[in-house]
Amino acid sequence: MKWIPLVEGQMPMQMIAELAICILFFSTCNYLLKKAGVGVPKFWAGILVWCFVNLFYLKYRIYPPIPFSVRAIYGTVSACGIFMWVSGSQEEWLEFKRPIINVLDGNTAFTKVLRTALLLLLPIGLGAFAYNSLLPSFDEPIELRTVHPAPPATTKVHGKTYVLQTAQQPYRIDTEGKYDPAYSNAHIVDQSMGRLMKDVNSSEDNPWDPNAKGYIKHVREGGEIFFQNCHFCHGDNLNGRGLWAFAFNPIPANFTDAGTIAQLQETFVFWRVAKGGIGLPGEGFPWASVMPPWEQHLTVDEIWKVIMFEYWHTGYYPRTWD
Amino acid sequence: MGRLFTPMTRGKKRFSAVTALIVAGVFLTLPIILSVTAMAGGGGGGSAGGPPPEVLEQRKAAAAAAAEAGESVEGEAVKIETGRDVYYKTEGPAIGMPAPITADNETFYPRYNFESRVLLWVANQQHLYYGSFVLAVPIFCMCIEFAGMISKDKAMAKKYDQLAYDFIRISLTAYSLTAILGGILIFTFLTLYPAFFGYLSGIFRPVMHIYALTFVAESGVLYIYYYGWDKMREGVLKWVHLSMCVILNVIGTVLMFLANSWIAFMMSPAGVDEQGRYLGNIWHVLHTALWNPLNVHRILGNMAFGGGVVAAYAAYRFLSSNTDEERAHYDWMGYIAMSLGVAFLIPLPFAGYWLMREVYAYRQQMGITLMGGLLAWLFIIQATMIGILFLTTNYYLWQALGRMTGGERFQKYIKYLVFILVVGLLVFITPHTIVMSPAELKAMGGQQHPVLGNYGVMSAKNGGINAIIMTTILSFIWYQRGNKVPTVSWSKFGNIFMGCFFVVAQINNIALAVYGYFIPANVRIGLSVPQVAGTLSCLLLMTPLNLAMLKGGRQLGPIRWGQIPPRSQYAIIMLATAFTWMMGLMGYIRSSVRLFWHVNEVMRDNSPWAYTHTIGFAANVISFNVLFFWISIMFVFWLGTLGAKKVVIKGPVSEPIPAGASPQPATSH
Repeated sequence: MKWIPLVEGQMPMQMIAELAICILFFSTCNYLLKKAGVGVPKFWAGILVWCFVNLFYLKYRIYPPIPFSVRAIYGTVSACGIFMWVSGSQEEWLEFKRPIINVLDGNTAFTKVLRTALLLLLPIGLGAFAYNSLLPSFDEPIELRTVHPAPPATTKVHGKTYVLQTAQQPYRIDTEGKYDPAYSNAHIVDQSMGRLMKDVNSSEDNPWDPNAKGYIKHVREGGEIFFQNCHFCHGDNLNGRGLWAFAFNPIPANFTDAGTIAQLQETFVFWRVAKGGIGLPGEGFPWASVMPPWEQHLTVDEIWKVIMFEYWHTGYYPRTWD
Repeated sequence: MGRLFTPMTRGKKRFSAVTALIVAGVFLTLPIILSVTAMAGGGGGGSAGGPPPEVLEQRKAAAAAAAEAGESVEGEAVKIETGRDVYYKTEGPAIGMPAPITADNETFYPRYNFESRVLLWVANQQHLYYGSFVLAVPIFCMCIEFAGMISKDKAMAKKYDQLAYDFIRISLTAYSLTAILGGILIFTFLTLYPAFFGYLSGIFRPVMHIYALTFVAESGVLYIYYYGWDKMREGVLKWVHLSMCVILNVIGTVLMFLANSWIAFMMSPAGVDEQGRYLGNIWHVLHTALWNPLNVHRILGNMAFGGGVVAAYAAYRFLSSNTDEERAHYDWMGYIAMSLGVAFLIPLPFAGYWLMREVYAYRQQMGITLMGGLLAWLFIIQATMIGILFLTTNYYLWQALGRMTGGERFQKYIKYLVFILVVGLLVFITPHTIVMSPAELKAMGGQQHPVLGNYGVMSAKNGGINAIIMTTILSFIWYQRGNKVPTVSWSKFGNIFMGCFFVVAQINNIALAVYGYFIPANVRIGLSVPQVAGTLSCLLLMTPLNLAMLKGGRQLGPIRWGQIPPRSQYAIIMLATAFTWMMGLMGYIRSSVRLFWHVNEVMRDNSPWAYTHTIGFAANVISFNVLFFWISIMFVFWLGTLGAKKVVIKGPVSEPIPAGASPQPATSH
């Protein structure tokens, strides 16, 4: 169902809006059908809504595919919601139960056959479910991976100890060379704006401007380091889809996602870049990262600069606590 | 005491009451006053376990070497060593022993052929459940008794009084059980973790004495309050009685704060140096980085939990009732208890946010371990439980609309509220770290999902939970209006204003949640303030406005207490179980975040159990704790019914009970 595109940057709200429109549409249809005397019984309405949301919308509309664990959560919550709806009032509850009671209590040939079929099929179905659950599986085991393990209090890089809670990015400076995160933040453009810099003619915004100095000059230097070392995996759009990305499982981190560097302090990123996959703590099991410990290849200054470039390019701000 | 309340003249009676109050106050605060001398002595005594033998040997060798080097041994004894506070960074005399450096052996960790940590976990959790319950119930009693006293309707006043009495009666047996469980907990500490408990009790020596004496004071006031109920039911004496409840709650709160200081110290130690030596300032030891956020969070949590337990009791009695009168009484009791519980549930997430903010401020890695790392999935379970609490509350209110003539006006809109609640909950519980097979990971093309990944971060979650809370407030306002129609001249304007207010608050909430993705994290965290302000405005402005509109309003019919579908009572029981389960879960999370530390960064846990359990194992132990608590509390409830004398209820069985009025109580004292 790709003929209605999911709009980049608006996808979460678009999904909620689409679901709301669908539910409103169903509600209106049912209202009109009821007016015409052929309303959908509550029992079937509830089942249809659940099936639509879980078996159609979440499965076929949302792309890439949603992992089963999340669909299971959504399925359970939506089932609870539908139960709350159909039993919100006593009249609605009675209406919902009616087809079930009719089948259980009915004396027609149809209800008798249906009852007998259910009596046979339900245990068989449950048995099949239990059998399938217990059947040995040769699939790869499910991973509950901690993507952002807690960092240590300090980290030692090139012989110097950094306190991650308090260390500062040394190149986040204004044109006069003073540490000024507000200045650098003011020169970041959100990616969804479709451009990298506010003013290409300004030496304070354009890293390639020959007069660029301070923060924006170091962004350029960080970019050079990135394209010499990092983009093969993390991609030239920093979206984790570099030339070699799909040789790895999982593929490298997507910095443009709101859940990666946007959630972290720069010092956290500094620690991860410096120590690489091999330096992940026990909490980071199963240590599914092949990133090299960049402290063996880059200087401390180069690590700081490349981090700054990543934030600048993605349009995200590093997390701070004050 | 009995003589004190024999018939007297009005003046004498008042004088005696005041005298009794002063004497009782002095008597009850005496333990605390006496403890001040203990405070002056400070903590930091030798720890029971002490340092391991090899460390003692090293120290002796160092002292001998110093003596050999010609340094005066006497001079050493006089010299006071100083230390630097690990949190406050102040210098102080290192008068306590260092934290023991333990090793995995029977000396430091005596054990049965079972995991000591789980034994301690169960003992601790059970004590906490009962402790929370008996601290919360007197606060309810205070509110309900006060409501009865200021009520102009004599019948209502009597019913409120009876309800307060019912509440305290339930808690009385639980109080004894709390003390017993406290004893079991201490014995468990002493026998399984002697080194750690010795160190902790060395640091908190004076506080622990005050704690014990405060417990004595709490018991004294509780018994006077309970047994003096009949004697102090009229006039000034009733106010004295209520004052006793106030004192009871003050003492109970102090008691809880003191106990909180121990766990706060274990998470964020202060008042000691890097070796764990006490530096002579007991206030620093008490007033650690997380003490106050924990205090606020626990007060609110206890209240919500206590309300849930009492409501579950009422629901159980409702379902097992044989008469309409009993059903009416327990329906009303359940409603009051649940309302009180939910009133404290609503601000609970905000207190939780404050606590987490302080955790992050104290140690970034502790915050990340909790919210983004090792324990993140437990937070998803917690979010699910919070969602269940709010959804169940809404469901109960919608069912309760059915027992009011006119309530059906609102029931047709329930489906829209369900949609907001479900979407809010789905956003709130979408995990940031998704559980998936490698094949699913590959199909998704990365660790984060481009659509759902955005729901996994705090900005969206703030929006989700605020949307849920606002919807709950709206359900409550509908409930208030169930059988009434506002007749004030400005009712049309008021309705439009209220509708607009809710819409604007919801738009503000969602817009800020979306905007949060485009700004720095520190500003984003600040956005939660206007979001919360919008939600609280709905609660604090719209609810009173609604009441003002309904004053003197037209009654559409009576509240038919007792005529509510049984599934509403199951909802209450589910609410209480969810509270219990969530308390167990959060206690485990809070404790686990120390990872391999007894006292964070000061005393290492070298026992064989210093690892984090799997989620499944933790969930099983939590479930066991919940089950054990509910079985034991059912026993307590049953004991409570033994003490109550059954009275023949005379009342209009078939006649509807007037709106706003409560039914006849089923039991008497």
